[in-house]
Amino acid sequence: MSPKMRDRAPRPKGPIDSGEDSNDESGPRRPKVDRPKTEDLLRRMRKVDPNQARRYRQRTGQ
Amino acid sequence: MELIRCYAREDFVALWDYDLENPRRDMRGFEVGELLQDLDETEHLQKDRARKIPLKDLKSDLILANGARLYNDHTHPEYSTAECLSLFDLIAQDRAGEHIVLQCARRRTEQRGHGVVRLYKNNTDFEGHSYGCHENFLLPRSIPFDDVVAALLPFLVTRQIYAGAGKVGVEADGSRHHQGVFQLAQRSDFFEVIASVDTMTRRPLVNTRDEPHADPTLYRRLHIIIGDANMCEWATALKVGALRLVLELLEAGNVPALELADPVGAVKAISRDSDRRWELELADCSVISAVDVQSAYLERAQSQTAGRDAETDWVLDEWQAALQALAADPMELVGRCDWVTKKWLLDAFAESEGLDWNKAEDRAWLQSQDLEYHNVDPQEGLYLMLEGAPDGSVVRLCDEATTKAARVTPPKGTRAWFRGHVLEKFGAQVRSLNWDSIEFDVDGRVRTVDLRGCVDADTAAIFNTRLDQAGTVQELLAALASPPTAKEAP
Repeated sequence: MSPKMRDRAPRPKGPIDSGEDSNDESGPRRPKVDRPKTEDLLRRMRKVDPNQARRYRQRTGQ
Repeated sequence: MELIRCYAREDFVALWDYDLENPRRDMRGFEVGELLQDLDETEHLQKDRARKIPLKDLKSDLILANGARLYNDHTHPEYSTAECLSLFDLIAQDRAGEHIVLQCARRRTEQRGHGVVRLYKNNTDFEGHSYGCHENFLLPRSIPFDDVVAALLPFLVTRQIYAGAGKVGVEADGSRHHQGVFQLAQRSDFFEVIASVDTMTRRPLVNTRDEPHADPTLYRRLHIIIGDANMCEWATALKVGALRLVLELLEAGNVPALELADPVGAVKAISRDSDRRWELELADCSVISAVDVQSAYLERAQSQTAGRDAETDWVLDEWQAALQALAADPMELVGRCDWVTKKWLLDAFAESEGLDWNKAEDRAWLQSQDLEYHNVDPQEGLYLMLEGAPDGSVVRLCDEATTKAARVTPPKGTRAWFRGHVLEKFGAQVRSLNWDSIEFDVDGRVRTVDLRGCVDADTAAIFNTRLDQAGTVQELLAALASPPTAKEAP
């Protein structure tokens, strides 16, 4: 099934390499994933307490 | 309880009217004696009862200036947006809710004087306790409920491919060998039956609660409990917008003829499929991909609704773009789709720190990053930090000014506008209220405004105009008792 093509607004530029490898078209394609552009974000991730998910206990809700 | 009350900065006054609620009534024409709880929650409820706190105090229901409801639901702050007629109004109201609960958390932190109160807009504690993000739609009562279930199952089971919020690990089922898996959706582990009135355990793909909050002879309220809480505005909009179009197909008798062999098994299998093939079996034993199931609904929606208005076309365009990206390279959806965005962040972090998804200690850190993705504080939350980054990798549908306004302004042209403005104008005389009624104290008598019919734009316009023109509650009641004038009639 192929949805009818429609014009759409251009997408904002994303920080992703498409992963296409022009030298090798065989086999599964694995997208190359860049690190977040902002070093601030990675710095923030390093500061996240590695055990906070273990301490995060909630009651069941709806 | 205390967190909720931080919103008001004044003594709590219980106004919510619980007499009009009955979550035990089933769409299939019966009422259950009680709703099921899991064992943990049964113990918690016994402790709640032993504390002898009155229900109204425990729940601490607040009606906010923007027409929303904020209350304590099993110790989670639950923000129910005001009723919306526009998708983009809903996005603004949803983002406003994040700001409101963050404000409550900051005030509670100040009040306590130690530690930091943090809130996460997510759906799991990674240890088998889930809490939902529900969507509600009014449907004509004339559509048989069996038709509703049949039409929605293939759509809801597969919607997670673009609407899932992503999760590290597997809960329930005792599936410890799957712990290294990154799932599409936070909620998919928790569904056990096809249809039921329960929401806390033995959760159903289609909830049968019959509580329309509108004229019960004309409407059902479809109470969707299978969705994740999204951080990406795009994901919230497509999740709700696509379902709204599918409900229009249902009303027109135009849904694709698809029947899943095992809907409950499929919702888990799709979420956990690391190969991203997302295949599922139909009742006729053929195999179809989740992308093709969604494409079948999209094609019908394009034929029926394309070109109708800008909002509909936005949904159709983005739905199609999402399916194309998911079939080619899901990573194109970073900044739009939560599970893709979260996976992208986690992969970058794992690579940076040399983490192994299959090692328990490493996975715990990744689960902590998963949790942090949902922190609603923009100074800490990973998604919100990414959203605020200057590289523009996150798609925004709602600017900060609109979100700020939505904190105190109900969506225009709705029943919520009437509710919010009644509280602003005549709040001192409001005795109680619910989604579909408001009781006033008028000279020692209780007078009720019935809002069950005030669900469409034309009726809401009449109510709102008469509210604007009324100088007193008595004038408002007199005006609402009059039939629509020729000028007001649609």
